[in-house]
Amino acid sequence: MPHKWGMAVDLDKCTGCGACVTACHAENNIPIVGPAQAARGRAMHWLRVERYWEGEFPDVRLKFRPVMCQQCDAAPCEPVCPTYASHHTDDGLNAQVYNRCIGTRYCANACPYNVRFFDFFHPQWPKPLHLQLNPDVSVREVGVMEKCTFCVQRIKAAGIDAKAAKRELKDGDVQPACVQSCASRALVFGDLNDPESEVSRISRSPRGGKLLEELGTRPNVTYLERQTQV
Amino acid sequence: MDRRDFIKLTAISGTSATLASCGTPEHQLIRFVPDEDLVPGVAEWKPSVCPACSAGCAVNVRVMDADVDTVRNGQAGVVAMSVAKKLEGLAKDPISQGGLCARGQASIQITYHPDRLTQPMKRSGPRGSGLFTPVSWDEAIAELVSRLDALAAGDQKSLAYITRPRRSRRLALVSEFLRRFGAPAPIAFEVMGDAVVRRANAISFGRHQLPTIDLARSRFVISFGADLLGTWNSPVAQSAAYGVMRQGQTKLRGKLVQIESRMSLTGANADEWVPAKPGTEGVVALGLAHAIVANKLRPAAAGRATAAIEGWSGGLADYAPDRVERITGIPAKRLERLARELAEFRPAVAVVGGAPAAQTNGLFTALAVNALNDLVGAVEQPGGIFFTPGAEPTPAVAQPLQNLSAKVLLVDDANPVFGAPKATKILEALASVPFIASFGSFIDDTSVLADLMLPDHSFLESWVDTTPESGAIEGVKTVAGPVMKPLHQTRATADVLIEVAGKLKSPIALPWKNAEDVAKSAQEQPAVGRRTDVRAMAYAEPNFDGDASQFPFHFLPYKSLQFGDGSTAHLPWLQEMPDPLTSAMWSSWVEINPQTAERLQIAQGDVVEVTSTQGSLRAPAMIFPGIAPDVVAMPVGNGHEVFTRYASGRGANPLAILAPVTDVETGSLAWAATRVKIARAGGDARPLIMFAGELREHPHEGEGR
Repeated sequence: MPHKWGMAVDLDKCTGCGACVTACHAENNIPIVGPAQAARGRAMHWLRVERYWEGEFPDVRLKFRPVMCQQCDAAPCEPVCPTYASHHTDDGLNAQVYNRCIGTRYCANACPYNVRFFDFFHPQWPKPLHLQLNPDVSVREVGVMEKCTFCVQRIKAAGIDAKAAKRELKDGDVQPACVQSCASRALVFGDLNDPESEVSRISRSPRGGKLLEELGTRPNVTYLERQTQV
Repeated sequence: MDRRDFIKLTAISGTSATLASCGTPEHQLIRFVPDEDLVPGVAEWKPSVCPACSAGCAVNVRVMDADVDTVRNGQAGVVAMSVAKKLEGLAKDPISQGGLCARGQASIQITYHPDRLTQPMKRSGPRGSGLFTPVSWDEAIAELVSRLDALAAGDQKSLAYITRPRRSRRLALVSEFLRRFGAPAPIAFEVMGDAVVRRANAISFGRHQLPTIDLARSRFVISFGADLLGTWNSPVAQSAAYGVMRQGQTKLRGKLVQIESRMSLTGANADEWVPAKPGTEGVVALGLAHAIVANKLRPAAAGRATAAIEGWSGGLADYAPDRVERITGIPAKRLERLARELAEFRPAVAVVGGAPAAQTNGLFTALAVNALNDLVGAVEQPGGIFFTPGAEPTPAVAQPLQNLSAKVLLVDDANPVFGAPKATKILEALASVPFIASFGSFIDDTSVLADLMLPDHSFLESWVDTTPESGAIEGVKTVAGPVMKPLHQTRATADVLIEVAGKLKSPIALPWKNAEDVAKSAQEQPAVGRRTDVRAMAYAEPNFDGDASQFPFHFLPYKSLQFGDGSTAHLPWLQEMPDPLTSAMWSSWVEINPQTAERLQIAQGDVVEVTSTQGSLRAPAMIFPGIAPDVVAMPVGNGHEVFTRYASGRGANPLAILAPVTDVETGSLAWAATRVKIARAGGDARPLIMFAGELREHPHEGEGR
């Protein structure tokens, strides 16, 4: 049976610290755009920490929610792409083929989660910052739409390693950079087709729910609601 | 022209183009023979230690080949080299446990920073101009040796050494060098440091160090201002334990209560966020203790100093709930309920750090929380606080920098010009030092004043070691070798010091041969102090600089999640990382309660002037729901005058306008005890740059948009 990659985010464990955000930049060669372009809303963060204020002082609360591509089964970004750059893979990922992309940005328009980012410029890495670039991930050029891949390069590498060792991928073999960096272990990644995997087990929690589920996008990221004891 | 001619012509012009490019060196790509055995495309993993704060997380570094620009025999070219690609937490390290915070992830950019110093340099313009000329290492070391030799005739005490806080053997080397030279001990300059908490722990428990909090086994955690998930103590270890406390314990989910006047990252994650008036947090602790003692809620397995607590239970009458309510602003009913929970939810633990310990009565507050911990039986008990054995001793309270009367000053990656308030006259003190040498890797606010730059290797290029002060119940020591060869003409500071020691007119024999030797050497086991008595001081009202009628707001600088004490403000990933509580990037800002802002007619992004008795600064306003109406807060980190292309001249530095008031008992800076006034100012501060839009993501209908 093919894999079906998914993630679970336990908002009761997530502290909102943003380690995942930086880990994602480091792993996926995401450029910085600088203050002037950031002020124009062009900063690129495949993964962001959303914040929600509730109430007023002194009874004020703040909740965090890390949001990455939800890798929807019925992804609104896919059918709108005229070049099939945005497409669905056999293992359930919303993949983006950068050299097919012609930059219509229809996909970003269609995505209800706002997790697609457009390269308005050629990315800059003043030397020797370029030495940090991950050779397993292509550097995107101007005019291309980019997005969270669930660290597909890590999924592929783990698959190749398993094949070389003549064994099946087992739960925990693949960790995207965000999951790997998370100190409080709020993020869990794995195969949703394996009912015994940790991500399947956690996704069945009664606290679980999907983001904007009512839109019918059938996301593969489950959020476990935060609890409160007062 | 027919087709055949065309092809011929193309061939000729193609050849001539090739020949032409041979003549211009910039079109040649010389590929040198690598110095090391490399397998292209295959990653190796090597351990190291994260340098971003003093928590001492061990990291696992992914190393792969890359083409590095280099010059050999005057010929520019590239050479294949193993270089670091990514940092991750080292799974078997008891501190990081495989996780790594944003600052740790980004610290790889220290090594690859485009503005990193690549070789030794000598000042060539007026002091502070930032003009330097490259010199050879031989020249640079000879210069330093001659300056030190000039002190050798009875003036040895005029050598001073300022370092950032280190928990490594390097500090032992520096101390030994200074001791044998005859100079005073090194000054560890810690911005917004924890000297008061350490001092309180020395008094209460005989341990001059920060505690390890056993959150993973705790059912009730009450934190007095300690941002333990964000910036305080050992955040990665504490976050790992927090995850277990919330959803990893088999039976029950632990509860977190945060007492502070401005919501920190930890406050945002708390079940209850309890704002108390600044400087009264210790009264809250004693109020809880009073309620526990008076209502006989104390668990049977109370702390070892029960007798002492009973002793001052008479004194605790001063901390009856209604009086505590008057002082702190926390309703008596809520206080009594919290006391009940603290006594009943076992194990429970109290934590103190950050602003409450940075008031003029900081030691009172820290001792009160220690007493509370003892009362609920949290000292060295599962789910309580522990003291990690074997940590390198922390130097006692640093001598005030403004009294520097040095003739030679060595600066080791510390930035007091940024970190010390302007009122301490640090700039003037440094200007009067005849010779300053800096070992740091960057030109920053302090090293721009140096006469000689002796740039250190980055952490990935050198031997590193650490014995963390806290973060694990058992003692931890990490030693790791270089992960990659040095990119630039830098030298390990340990090696430089050893070489200088040997070249002095009267050479100093140090017990180490080189940097590797230093990192690997065993430390003298510090004598563990005897447990002394858990006592509480009487409440002394906090003093604030600035008259309340003229300066109506408490001013609260806080360590930012991205930049901590400001030392990582030069890393572009962190500048562009949205701050989790505000989503701001590349900015400084002033956090203001929404009602206060409305009263003063200040809107989001308006430039605000913040004025203390010591000076003023300008920054855009951030309307922030999680702050008391009489408090304004600013993140520390930006506001460097000089600190690479990414941080120079960006934002404002709240530390600059702090008043030089100190904790009465320890003499350390009370950085939360300054009052300010704020006013809307038209002006030219940089705009507020935010990743997210509106404050309330889904405004109710009729709210107007």
